[in-house]
Amino acid sequence: MGLLNRRAQRGGVTLEVDFSSCRAAGLCHELLPEVIGLDVWGYPVVDGAPVPPDRVREARAAARACPRLALRVVEA
Amino acid sequence: MSRGRRRSERADRAPRSRRRLPGVSGPQHPSPVPCGEDVVVAPGPLLLAGVQEGPGLAVHRRRHGLLVPHEEGFPDAEALAVLAEQVRLRGRGGAGFPFATKLRRVAERGGRRRPPVVVVNAAEGEPASHKDAALLRTVPHLVLDGAAAAAHAVGAHEVHVVVPAERHRVVTALAAALAERRETGDPADVTADASPLRWQVHVAAPRFVAGQESAVLELIAGREGLPVHRREPAAVRGVRGRPTLLSNAETFAHVGLLALHGAEPALAHGTAEEPGTTLVTTVLVTQDGCADPVVREVPFGTSVASLLPVPGATPEVASAPVPVLVGGFHGAWLTAAEAAEATVSSTDLARFGAHLGAGVLLVPGTGVCPLGLTDRILGHLAEQSAGRCGPCVHGLGSLATAFGEVTSGREVPSGPVAELAAVVVGRGACAHPDGTSRLVVSALQALADEIDAHSTGSCPPAESRPFSSPRPGSPGNPGAGEEHRWAS
Repeated sequence: MGLLNRRAQRGGVTLEVDFSSCRAAGLCHELLPEVIGLDVWGYPVVDGAPVPPDRVREARAAARACPRLALRVVEA
Repeated sequence: MSRGRRRSERADRAPRSRRRLPGVSGPQHPSPVPCGEDVVVAPGPLLLAGVQEGPGLAVHRRRHGLLVPHEEGFPDAEALAVLAEQVRLRGRGGAGFPFATKLRRVAERGGRRRPPVVVVNAAEGEPASHKDAALLRTVPHLVLDGAAAAAHAVGAHEVHVVVPAERHRVVTALAAALAERRETGDPADVTADASPLRWQVHVAAPRFVAGQESAVLELIAGREGLPVHRREPAAVRGVRGRPTLLSNAETFAHVGLLALHGAEPALAHGTAEEPGTTLVTTVLVTQDGCADPVVREVPFGTSVASLLPVPGATPEVASAPVPVLVGGFHGAWLTAAEAAEATVSSTDLARFGAHLGAGVLLVPGTGVCPLGLTDRILGHLAEQSAGRCGPCVHGLGSLATAFGEVTSGREVPSGPVAELAAVVVGRGACAHPDGTSRLVVSALQALADEIDAHSTGSCPPAESRPFSSPRPGSPGNPGAGEEHRWAS
């Protein structure tokens, strides 16, 4: 386990969406359905709560996968 | 594929950051409160003292003196922050952030090698608000002194002032005030050190969200003045990545008073919790538009009812106590009973789930249905979305439609409209979706009686008689008779 993930597990990480960039591609929801929901128009719904420690890896993958770079993992 | 075709395809695409989402197009929903630039400005105790004497620099200096070092030294950032704390100065643009906190953050982040920047936000995108316009047209030098004092406190060399394009008289008044300072070589600009301040004026496009913090920063950066997602507040990274002290014009006017006179004048007004005064714009919405807005400077704790139009003052006034929209288009409705009880105070208004916002009181006049007014405001707000954030583009239009279903009695208030009002909150680059949701939620609560009436096919305001007898419980109109008509 990398240093970043260990640090993330201690402090917890949250997700932040840049809605002015997001174009509802929906990849983040595909990769992390437990944490990222979609509204009726297909835009992500995140509640600002810390990502469960066992989902942090997927959260980072989802942020990397976003074609608009609109999802960001915020270290606590 | 030919080269030419590829090029034309590329040309079709707007630059990535500027691409707009499809939304409601064309101005089908003009402002439901189409006020012109004619404003009635009542003289007030501090900011608006002696407005009838004109906006000149000489008048200003006679009244307030020079912005020069006090005996204990010109307020540095910490001294100014302490003064702001004493009077509990909060931002007057709507968000109400403590000014001292912002000032300290900017001062800490700045330094000689990275001097901070000061931005005076007078864009006033809310069409019903006229307080910043009133300030710049009546006492511009108080605002400029506040900005100059703040700039010297944090070590800034440049001050940007953002004014709204559609308010020509504000643009002219600011230009005249700055020219006067330049010509007279006013010492206020060069107090602490030898380098004079650079003043830059920016004109914001006439749209509701143009005054949002990130939109103002975009405009100053030379891009279209639309909100964008920002990871850090302006106080940390603003203009050209510098720590930026961005506040509303009224906030800077209060800072000017603090720098010129200290905390005592403000402490003599208001309540212990909220000392000082605040500017309030009262707008009476009539069937064919609106009466001239009235801007007053009132101490915190003033009763809201005392600021409402007095029966008999104009022919179109309300015939009975009516609900009042506090805080403007992003504000909250108070029932007639709540409005009779409430005071101009953020803690007191919080009891009713309302907030002062930018200090707008919208009053539906005779024959104006508050639900119909809310409908029109929502249509306007949906159309005023910058078109950048999906939840706002799709959500506000749907929200306006769903609210219309409720006001026409086809849907219940707990139906889709409540769900939509919840889904847009916190999901945009600016406060636009949140403010619009707040308006809807408050209307569903405070206008429950009106909604009931509509569901049975009746609308009391539209059926009401014109005013005939004095409204009970109205303590009168402060400053009536000595109000100064500011139409020049």
